[in-house]
Amino acid sequence: MTGAMTGDRTPVTASLRWRVLLALSLAALVPTVIVGALAIMRAHNDVEREVDRGALAHIRALGAVLDNTLQDARRTVELAAASWADAPNDVRETQLLLKRLRRDVPIVHALAILDPAGALRFGDPVPANLDVGSHSFGGYIGDAEYAGGRPVVHLVVQARGRTGELMGVFVASLDLGFVRVQLADARLGHGARVIVVDGAGVLVASRDEQHATRDEAWTHGPVSLAGTDPAVDRALASSVEGTLSSNGWVSAYRNLSSYQSRRGVRWAILHQQPERFAYALARETTRDTLIIGGAALAIALVLGWFIATRLTRPLTALARHADAIASGSTDDPPPVHGPGEIGVLGQRIDEMARRIAERAALQSALARGDRLASVGVMSAQVAHEINNPLTTVLGYAKLLQEGKPEGHPDRDALGLIASEAERMKTIVSGLLEYARVPRKAERITPASGVRVVAHCDPAAVLRHVGALLEPQLRRTKTMLSIDVTATAPLAIEAHALQQVLVNLAQNAAQAMAAANIEGGALALIARPAPGGIATLITVTDEGPGVPAADRARVFDPFFTTKAAGAGTGLGLAVCKHLVTTAGGSIEVGDGPGGRGAEFRVVIPNAA
Amino acid sequence: MAVAAIALGGCGKPPARPPAIRFLHTFGPQETELFNTTMAERGIAVESLLVPFARGQQTINEILHARNDCPDLIRIDATWLAGLVASGLVVEPPAALAALDWTPEAAALAQLRGVWWSLPQSVDGLLVIRDLATPAPASPSLPDLLAAARAARATTGPYPLSVRIDGYWFVPWLRDEGGELSAPDGIAGAEAVRAMTKLAALFGDLVPPPPSPGSEDPEEMRRWEAREVAYWITGPWQFAELRDRDRVAVSGLAHAPRGGQLLVVPRCAKHPADGWRLAGELTSLPVQARFAGTFASVPTRRAALEDAPALSRAAETALRSTAMLPREPVTPMLFDDLNPALAAVVAGDATAEEAVAGVRRGWQRLIQPTAAPTAPPAQPMPQPGAP
Repeated sequence: MTGAMTGDRTPVTASLRWRVLLALSLAALVPTVIVGALAIMRAHNDVEREVDRGALAHIRALGAVLDNTLQDARRTVELAAASWADAPNDVRETQLLLKRLRRDVPIVHALAILDPAGALRFGDPVPANLDVGSHSFGGYIGDAEYAGGRPVVHLVVQARGRTGELMGVFVASLDLGFVRVQLADARLGHGARVIVVDGAGVLVASRDEQHATRDEAWTHGPVSLAGTDPAVDRALASSVEGTLSSNGWVSAYRNLSSYQSRRGVRWAILHQQPERFAYALARETTRDTLIIGGAALAIALVLGWFIATRLTRPLTALARHADAIASGSTDDPPPVHGPGEIGVLGQRIDEMARRIAERAALQSALARGDRLASVGVMSAQVAHEINNPLTTVLGYAKLLQEGKPEGHPDRDALGLIASEAERMKTIVSGLLEYARVPRKAERITPASGVRVVAHCDPAAVLRHVGALLEPQLRRTKTMLSIDVTATAPLAIEAHALQQVLVNLAQNAAQAMAAANIEGGALALIARPAPGGIATLITVTDEGPGVPAADRARVFDPFFTTKAAGAGTGLGLAVCKHLVTTAGGSIEVGDGPGGRGAEFRVVIPNAA
Repeated sequence: MAVAAIALGGCGKPPARPPAIRFLHTFGPQETELFNTTMAERGIAVESLLVPFARGQQTINEILHARNDCPDLIRIDATWLAGLVASGLVVEPPAALAALDWTPEAAALAQLRGVWWSLPQSVDGLLVIRDLATPAPASPSLPDLLAAARAARATTGPYPLSVRIDGYWFVPWLRDEGGELSAPDGIAGAEAVRAMTKLAALFGDLVPPPPSPGSEDPEEMRRWEAREVAYWITGPWQFAELRDRDRVAVSGLAHAPRGGQLLVVPRCAKHPADGWRLAGELTSLPVQARFAGTFASVPTRRAALEDAPALSRAAETALRSTAMLPREPVTPMLFDDLNPALAAVVAGDATAEEAVAGVRRGWQRLIQPTAAPTAPPAQPMPQPGAP
C-alpha cells in the first residue's frame, strides 16, 4: 500500500520539478529571446544607420570638394567679370585680366569674352549658339560635354557694369578631369567604391578599394549605368541625397549641384558597398548575440535544473513524510528543512505528525485505560470478596499465635500465615486503590447542571509534594529541586496530581537508593507545554533509568522491576490511570544527557 | 530542342512593362521626393528628369528644338508658356481635361489668348504674410501695406517689412506707378524711375538692408522666425518652409504678379497621350490634395481647393487681387536686366535714372536682336607665362 502510494506520487514530484524547470526555462528564455531580438534589431538598425550616415558623409565631403572646385572657379570668374565690366574697352587690362584668370583657375581650358549680343570680343572661340545667360540670373555652369573624350563644361558669367547693365559675357571652358583626381584620394572601406555619373548615367570617374582612376586615360565609352543600377536611376531622378539597398549593394547617392548634363540633369556621386561588407558588423553582432544568448540560456537551464531540484527536494521529503503518516508508520522521519514557506510547511507537517502520534497514543492509552478500568472493577469485586475472609484468616491467625507460648512449634507457622495474610491485604488494598474511580476533572453539578472543571495550582501541589517527601528524601540523601514556571491551573484534582507525583518521586528515590546513589538529584519541573493548552511536569532522577525494553510495559499493572515483595507493581499503573482519567498522558524516557529516568506528565490546563 | 527553347523562352518572358512616361520638371527637392513617392504608390512608371529652375527655360527650349530627346510632359513656369506657344513647341490638351473644374485664376493661367495650351498644376504669385496677431493692412493697396508696416515698427523693430531685391518684387511698385513689366514701353516712361526710387528708398527705412547675394532665402526666413518683420512679401512657395503655419495669416497685395506652374506636352513627344495622362494624374484631386496638404500649395481645381488647408485657401483668396504678368515670350527674360539694375540702385551704385536707362537698353536688345555684331574683332586669349 505504502509502496503503491509512493509509486503514485513520485511522478507528481517529478512533474513538479519539470514544471519548475519549465517555468525557470521560460523565465530565462523569454527575456533572452526578447532582449536578443531587440539587440539584434537594434544592432542592425544602428549599423544600417551608421553605414548610411558614413556613406552620405563621405559623398557629401567628396561632393562638396567637387562642387566647390567649380564654384570657386565661378566666383573667380565672376570677380574678374565684375572688374572687367568697369572698363570693358581697355584691351591691355583685359588681356592682363585673362592671363591672371587662367593662372588662378587651373582647370580653365579656354577663356573668352563675348559682347552682350554674343559676339566674340576676346579669347578663344566658343561653341556656336552658346547661351550667353539669358534668364540665368547672371550666369550659369553649363551642361557637361565630352571634348576629345574628356568631360568639359562651359562656365558663363555675365559682366554687368555699375548700373547693372550687361557689358559682356565671360565664357570659361573648364576641364572636369580633376574629378578623377579628387576621387583617387578617397579612402574607402572593404569592397566599397565611389563613382560619379553624369546626367545620363555615364560613368565619369570611379574609385574602388584597389582601383584608382587618377592617371588612367579616359577610355570609358558612353556606356550609361541608367537602367542597370537602381541607385543610379534613383540618384538621377532625385534632387536630394538618399540611400538605397538593392542587388546586394548598399548605395548612398547625392546630386552634384554644380554639374549637370545636356538635359539639365545633375550629376551624381554614389558610394556603393556590398551588403556583406557594409553590414559585417551587424552580422558579427548577431552571431555574438546568438552565442551569448545560447550560452546564457544553457547556463540558465543548468541553474534551473539545480534550482528546481533544490526547490522540490523538501517537497519530495514532505511527500515521503506524508506518505509515512498516511501509512501509519511508526518510524520517526527526519525533520524536513527547506527555505521559506517550504520550511514552514515542513515544520507544520512535523507538528501535525507529532500531534497525530500523540493523539493516537492517547487514544491507545484511553482504550487500554478502559480495559484496565473493567479489570479494575472486576478486581475490586474480587478484592472485596477476598478482603473479608482474609480479615478473618488474619484475625484467627494472630489469636492462635498469641495463644501459643514462646517456643511452641506452631507459633512460627502462625506468624507466617499472619504475615502472608497481611501481604495479601496490602495487595488487595492496592487493587482497590487502582480500581477506585477517581473524580473526573470535569463534571456537571446535579443542582445547577453547570459544567464544572477541576482546578489545581501546579505550584502549590509541587511544593506540598516536596514537603511530604522531605523526611524520606533526607534519609536517602536525595537532592530535591522544584522548578515551576507554569502558572495555568490544571484540569485535575489536586490530590490526584499529588498522588501521581509522590508515587513518581518515591520510585525515583527508591531507584537511586537501590543503586547506592547518594546525593542523587531529583527534579520536579512544571512548565507550559508547547501550544499553551497543557502543562508538562517532569520528574527526573539520576538513577539507573528504565530500560527501553521495559518502557512499554512499565505502566501495566503488576509489572515491577523491584525485588520480590518490595512492590506490588501497581504504583505506575495507578499514576497512569489518574493522569489519563484527567485527559493527560504520561511517558518515560531517558533523563538529561541519557542519565537516569525522566517521567513526562502532560496535564491539560483548565479552560 | 530549338523549338523547346523558343517555346520556353516565349512562355517565360514576362509581360511587357508599359513604357515609363518621360517627365521633365522643375520641382524643388522636397516636391520631387513627394512626386516620386506618389507616382510609385499610384503605380505609374515615370522617368522623371529634374531641370534646375534657373536654367529651365533655356534647357527645355534646347531639348524641344533638338527634337531627339523629347519628354512626354513638362512642368514649366507660367511665364515660359508664351515662348513655347510662339515657337510652336507645345500642343493643346484634350478638351476633357480642359473642361475640368479649374479655378478661374488657374484656367486663365493655362490659356493664352483664350486657347488652352496647358493644365495648371499650381497657382502662385506675390502676397503678404503676417502673424495672426498682426493687424491686416487696411486694403491690399501698396500704400496701405506701407502704412501698416510703419505702424508695426513699435512692436517689431525698425524694419517691419520684408521685400526682396528682385524684379518680380518690383512689379507691384511699377504697376502702382502706372507701368508694366513689358518691353519696351513698360519701362520707357518716368513710372519706372519713380517706382525704382520709391522701392530703393524703403531699404534701410521700412525694409531691412539687403543681405549678401545668395543668402536671401535663409536671411528672410531667419527674420520671420525671429519676428523681426511684421509683413513679408513672398509667395505660396514659401509656405512649405514655415515651421508654424497655424500662426500665419495672408493678405493680398494689389498689382502683385500672379503666376504658377503649368503642365505642357511638347509637340515632339513620342507618347503625348501618356503625357496628358500623367498631367491628369498630377492635377487629380488626390494628388492635388496631397501636395496642398504637404506644402500648403494652392490647388488649381475647385474641389481640391475646398479640401485644401486653410492657408492654401487663404492664399488663393489673396491671389485674386493680383494680376498675371504680360503673356509675352520675352517676359521671363526681362528680369535678367531688371534684377541687377534694381540691386545697383538699392546699393547706391547707380541712380534710378541710370539703372532704368540700362534696363531699357537691355530690353531693346531682347526685342530687337542685333543683326550683326558691332563689337571689335576678337582678341586671342593670353596663355599663362606669356608676356
